Amino acid sequence: MTLLDQDHQPSRRQFLTLVGAGVGAAAARLGAGPAFAQGGAPVKIGVLAIRAGIAAPVGAAGLRATEWWAERVNKAGGILGRPVQLVVEEESNPKDTVERYRKLVLQDQVEVVLGGISTGVTLALGPVAEDLGTPWLSWDGTTQKGVEETMPNPKWAFKSVDNEVEAIVAGILTPKYFKGIKTVAGIGNDYSYGHDCWESYQAVLKRYLPDVKFVLELFPKLGVTDFTSHIAAIQQSKADLLMCSFWSGDATIIMKQAAAVGLFKTMKGVFTTAGGVHDSLKKEFTPEGLLLGYNTMYFDDPKGSALLKQFVREYKAKHNEYPPYECDHAYFNAESYKAAVEKAAGAAKRWPEKAQVVKALEGIEIESLSGRRSWREDHVQMCSFYQGMTTHKNSYDFVTISPVEVVSTRQAMKPAGAKLFDWISGWKI
Amino acid sequence: MKRGLGLAAATAAMAVAPLVGGTYHVLLMLPFMAYAVVLLGLNLLFGYTGLVSFGHALFVGIGAYTGAFITSRTTIRSLEVILLSAAVLGALVAAPVAALCVRYVKIYFGMLTLAFGMVFYTFVLKFYRLTGGDEGTPFLRPSLLGHAFDAMPKIDYLTGPYYYYSMAVLGLATLVMWRIVCSPFGLCLKTIRDNPAKAETLGIGVTRYRFLAFVISAVYAAVGGALLGPPTGNVDPTLAYWTHSGSLVFMTLLGGFASFFGPVVGAFVFIYLQNWVMSVVPYWRLVFGAILALIVIIAPEGLAGLVTRRRPAPAERA
Amino acid sequence: MAAGLQVVFGVQKIFNLACGSFYALGAYAGVSAVGWYASAGGPPALFVVPLALAGLAVGAVGVVVERGLLRFVYDRDETFQLLLTFAVVLMMEDAIRMIWGTSPRSTSGLYLTYGQLQLLGATVPVYNLIVIAASLVIALAIGWLLTRTAFGRIMRAAADNREMAEALGVDMRRVYAKVFTLGTALGTLGGALVIPATAAMSEMGIELIVEAFAVVVIGGLGSMRGAFVGALAVGVLRSIAISVYPELEMLLIYLIVIVVLVLRPRGLFGGAAA
Repeated sequence: MTLLDQDHQPSRRQFLTLVGAGVGAAAARLGAGPAFAQGGAPVKIGVLAIRAGIAAPVGAAGLRATEWWAERVNKAGGILGRPVQLVVEEESNPKDTVERYRKLVLQDQVEVVLGGISTGVTLALGPVAEDLGTPWLSWDGTTQKGVEETMPNPKWAFKSVDNEVEAIVAGILTPKYFKGIKTVAGIGNDYSYGHDCWESYQAVLKRYLPDVKFVLELFPKLGVTDFTSHIAAIQQSKADLLMCSFWSGDATIIMKQAAAVGLFKTMKGVFTTAGGVHDSLKKEFTPEGLLLGYNTMYFDDPKGSALLKQFVREYKAKHNEYPPYECDHAYFNAESYKAAVEKAAGAAKRWPEKAQVVKALEGIEIESLSGRRSWREDHVQMCSFYQGMTTHKNSYDFVTISPVEVVSTRQAMKPAGAKLFDWISGWKI
Repeated sequence: MKRGLGLAAATAAMAVAPLVGGTYHVLLMLPFMAYAVVLLGLNLLFGYTGLVSFGHALFVGIGAYTGAFITSRTTIRSLEVILLSAAVLGALVAAPVAALCVRYVKIYFGMLTLAFGMVFYTFVLKFYRLTGGDEGTPFLRPSLLGHAFDAMPKIDYLTGPYYYYSMAVLGLATLVMWRIVCSPFGLCLKTIRDNPAKAETLGIGVTRYRFLAFVISAVYAAVGGALLGPPTGNVDPTLAYWTHSGSLVFMTLLGGFASFFGPVVGAFVFIYLQNWVMSVVPYWRLVFGAILALIVIIAPEGLAGLVTRRRPAPAERA
Repeated sequence: MAAGLQVVFGVQKIFNLACGSFYALGAYAGVSAVGWYASAGGPPALFVVPLALAGLAVGAVGVVVERGLLRFVYDRDETFQLLLTFAVVLMMEDAIRMIWGTSPRSTSGLYLTYGQLQLLGATVPVYNLIVIAASLVIALAIGWLLTRTAFGRIMRAAADNREMAEALGVDMRRVYAKVFTLGTALGTLGGALVIPATAAMSEMGIELIVEAFAVVVIGGLGSMRGAFVGALAVGVLRSIAISVYPELEMLLIYLIVIVVLVLRPRGLFGGAAA
């Protein structure tokens, strides 16, 4: 980590100028750059990114990946010869974000809107997107209320993987890596994500280990930066294992404060989502042998594609960080949109109607950063989850995982129309 | 007379806006009208009684959640019922809060209201089984004067019937507030603001008047909060967070708390300015913080103060 | 953990919504300073020195805020001061984001540089003890400053009766500037000192204000002793709530704030003067 790593997020203006300049330069150097087809007016793509608050790092990662994608696409000649132009707006609270969404569609007249992370916001965005009749591909947001779907058959909204999948994957992997677990304590943030993850994890673990006891559950407020009292309570519970669904700076903090009192010397640990802030989990305070979830992209995947390796390299060079999973949600959204437009355009290469793009998106499967990804017919993202045991054997100053377990959403996400807990209790184990 | 003309022009402009304006800008008028109702109430406390509440998002939240509960948990859709319930509930919650808060003034009053606001926020966030927690509660499309408008696309509904309904509510709220501030009650409030001791000797029950002003302003906030719900379609705890209370005070100050219509102007400018600044720079909070600082220092009477210039702005007195 | 750190919020005479932002600023500056120090090859055992220096140095922003903004509104209602500090909150949040980006920042393993101790059967990092000691020293130093020095007497006089102090020939502007800068520096120092045990996040200012507010209100506005007791009370109550009934954790604090405000608006240790 360097000193004063400045986060140069270009403003929308700057970005348009940049893209515009790139296009102009390409056109000027006849034959040298990709010449966009005649009448190739830019395709406006709306992007909603969180800039402030606890999820700001996640929003920044999604935006950076989208910008990386746009640059690549424009270098390669755009979509059907039209250059891509990103119109970035901020995702904040539901009320303001609904207004920004309407602005993108009604005022800027974008072809598609990408982004949306917080569940509170995307629950509000879902119906709005349906009203406005423009495709909306959400990075990390669902329209789930708790663990159940509220919009089972959307026409325009495309949603991220269900919120609780990482906890389910961790529940499946726990008995494999930790033998003889009898008591489990849980800690998560006090909002729907924290509660849903904990309940899903318990449900899954109970299927594998029917005698397991859940001895303590703690739900500190989102944004708390001191967990000393919580850790003391966890120590007193004498549980065999701690399950934690923190995903932001709080994951780093609890790891540090747990190390300070030697919590994981006696206790096993499962961190379902802490891989979102993986490069802040320094070796000095993060022990080996914890189950750590990277969600849907693992930057150091030994089996990773050339595309992933290039992305990680360029991301590191530009932002001096290693990319977290949100990048691939964002990349997949953008790239699947491009693929769908090209598919819908057919041989005639005529720009398709929005409804045709939506049709083409349904069921489409493409090569994304983390591997193959697809849109399920009911507009839910299908991909793979990466979790594994923490190790210090790497060239970084933070932990990575080895072996890497890859679990597909086909196994760990409830099928379309299913009720989560009925589905889990119906598993054959 | 001049004010009457301006008012007529503003009303006429608002009435024709949906016919001539771009859809998006017309939609932005909806939160403006909702906030205008909230701020008319807040200013009875701020401008007329001299008490600055840093917890009025509490009542905005009460109003919004009332509507969300009624539409998503019962079969009632009538906006009239919703607004009325919001007003009653706002008053019911405000009564004990006001009884405790109005015993204090200035900074203590602000802090106590902030604390109450945060209690409500934490409550909404904590008891997620009841309130939906951070996911909030949907605010389904309410019916207006018995018409459901179910077949109408949401945007048309919002820019058509709902727009004019909001306008009517704002008109009515303005009229009632005007009567209040011009009544002997309103004059008493101003006396209390300027000189509580004198008011007491004149036989005005200072605490009782402050209490009433607080409750009325809470009712306005709840009604405005209920109007804020349908355009978003989902009601969530951020509506009750302390920074939202801060924004309400910001809007009031921006427009000018010393004038009757100042806060309404403030809401208008705030919303359109935020819309613009957010699109142009990612760091819009920095810009807004600077604007707020400038207003406090240079133009504490807000935009209305700059326009009317009835009293010279007391800037640079320090 | 050293809840005692929050003592620093008590000395600010103005009710400062931005104190949380200053705390965040100190935390970020601390991370940067330590990172720079480590990469320059400084001995890890002395890392508290650059940490504390960074915390104190960014306290200079207090001068800017005081001279640039607050001094214009001393004559007006306290509410305007409150609003100005709200403006500072908005600006600082973005300023921190512009400088340090959005990712959480943390110092690496320095927290455990000084090792751990076994105390009453619990493992306690030595660094925690250092921070507790530091906050006690700071508290005592301020107590000494307030009660034993001329500057302290002037400060108290100014707090009690501004006109009188002015009439006696005290230059109130300079006093206010010094007090505010002192308060800010304590806030940034607090943020810097606590950072090895935690991580800096851009929203920590906005989140922290609520807790700081509780501490100050419970203890009493402007009371040193009160702030200390308030910080302890909040810390202890929180621990109790977490082990007894976790659902109540945050709510409990607000409820106590309200009870204290209603019963003793000036806090448990606030001055008696109305």
